[in-house]
Amino acid sequence: MCYFVQGPLVLIAGIIFILGLLYQGIQFFKLTKKKEWGVPPSSLEIKPQKQTKKQWVREALRTLNGTLWKTDPVLTIVTSVFHVCLIIAPLFLLGHNILLDQSWGLSLFSLPESVSNFLTLLVLICGLYFLGRRLFMARVRAISTVYDYLVLLIAVVPFLTGFLAYQQWLNYQTVILLHILSGELMLITIPFTKLGHMLFFFLYRFFIGSEYSFVRGSRTW
Amino acid sequence: MMHQEMKPVDTKQIKEMLNRKKGKMKRYLSYCAHCSLCAESCFLYMAHDQDPQYMPSYKVIHSLGKLYRKRGKVDRKSLMEMKGIVWRNCVLCGRCYCPIGIHIPSMITFARSILRSQDVYPQLDEASSESWL
Ligand code: HEM
Ligand code: HEM
Ligand code: SF4
Ligand code: SF4
Repeated sequence: MCYFVQGPLVLIAGIIFILGLLYQGIQFFKLTKKKEWGVPPSSLEIKPQKQTKKQWVREALRTLNGTLWKTDPVLTIVTSVFHVCLIIAPLFLLGHNILLDQSWGLSLFSLPESVSNFLTLLVLICGLYFLGRRLFMARVRAISTVYDYLVLLIAVVPFLTGFLAYQQWLNYQTVILLHILSGELMLITIPFTKLGHMLFFFLYRFFIGSEYSFVRGSRTW
Repeated sequence: MMHQEMKPVDTKQIKEMLNRKKGKMKRYLSYCAHCSLCAESCFLYMAHDQDPQYMPSYKVIHSLGKLYRKRGKVDRKSLMEMKGIVWRNCVLCGRCYCPIGIHIPSMITFARSILRSQDVYPQLDEASSESWL
């Protein structure tokens, strides 16, 4: 059991994660083959005047004011910190990179352990904030089901157990086993639950023709 | 009005319609983080004293979401409730904003089409009481 979780299951989870995302990506492109978004010909476009640096900054701040930043600045900060740390902490973690190096001989750059530990703590605090919103804000509660709590748990538990393992507060062997298990669970569930927004966010912003695209996407569905 | 309330619901037809757009609509429904960030972008939510039932995601979850969850097996009573949600609580102005990219108006539009296929739609020419607001 321990062997299975620490060995083959890591590989299986990784493969399901990659293939799952690939499947979702392919489905997305299949479903959006139709291109009917009417993009005006570029000859009709009025080239914006060259802006000075000051104008550019002012324009950027003005744009920011029309976003979440204005309606809910606290959540904007919390969710930004949460997502940035969520990606950076495990990717540039010494513990992970050592294991990667041992098994495949490749590894990424690693942050100092104290920094990783701090980023992990930030993820946990932000996760707690999300939980609080879900429990106490009427508007979030109105659309919450058990499933939402479960997915939040799936996203946060790898960080909780990773944190406990690093601090060695509880029985290390048990905690690390739980950590690996929860990490695998998270990888497996990402492509098939609402965590799939990780991929969809970018597909939507880069390929679908819409008001909020980062670039001029032309796909429609 | 009466004929709307008496006709049997053709659940098979609803299911067929649901299946036709399943790939897109079920993905929208499943990627929604249930975070409520779309709330303020809906003027009806703001105009009703921030009543959660006017949140774009709430409206979708309780109309199209419900149709998918029940696989089309709904009775006339719930169709009539959905009618209130997708015509009264949303006017399809298209101004809602979701950070993840869930396109609410297309889902409400689809829910309206399904309701229309079952003869459920507002009839202002028959009953001005359906102007609601
Ligand atoms: C699936 C296989 C995984 C394995 C084998 C694994 C293994 C490890 C190991 C050995 C450590 C070091 C603990 C220590 O310092 O003693 C660790 C820490 C950590 N892991 Fe994982 N992990 C896995 C997946 C994940 C995933 C999917 C995430 C999050 C997305 C994650 C997040 C973390 C974090 C944040 C820490 C550091 C906690 C801290 O320093 O405070 N791990 N992991
Ligand atoms: C990499 C690109 C990602 C982007 C652009 C992104 C974007 C977003 C956005 C816009 C929200 C809206 C709700 C909010 O801000 O509270 C959100 C919520 C959320 N995201 Fe992500 N996300 C990404 C990856 C991930 C990953 C990898 C996970 C976890 C494995 C994750 C977990 C969550 C969770 C749990 C919520 C909901 C929080 C709640 O319960 O309210 N996200 N994400
Ligand atoms: S539609 Fe978008 S903004 Fe609204 S609750 Fe769902 S994910 Fe959040
Ligand atoms: S389309 Fe409907 S939900 Fe979206 S902002 Fe307009 S009234 Fe609100």
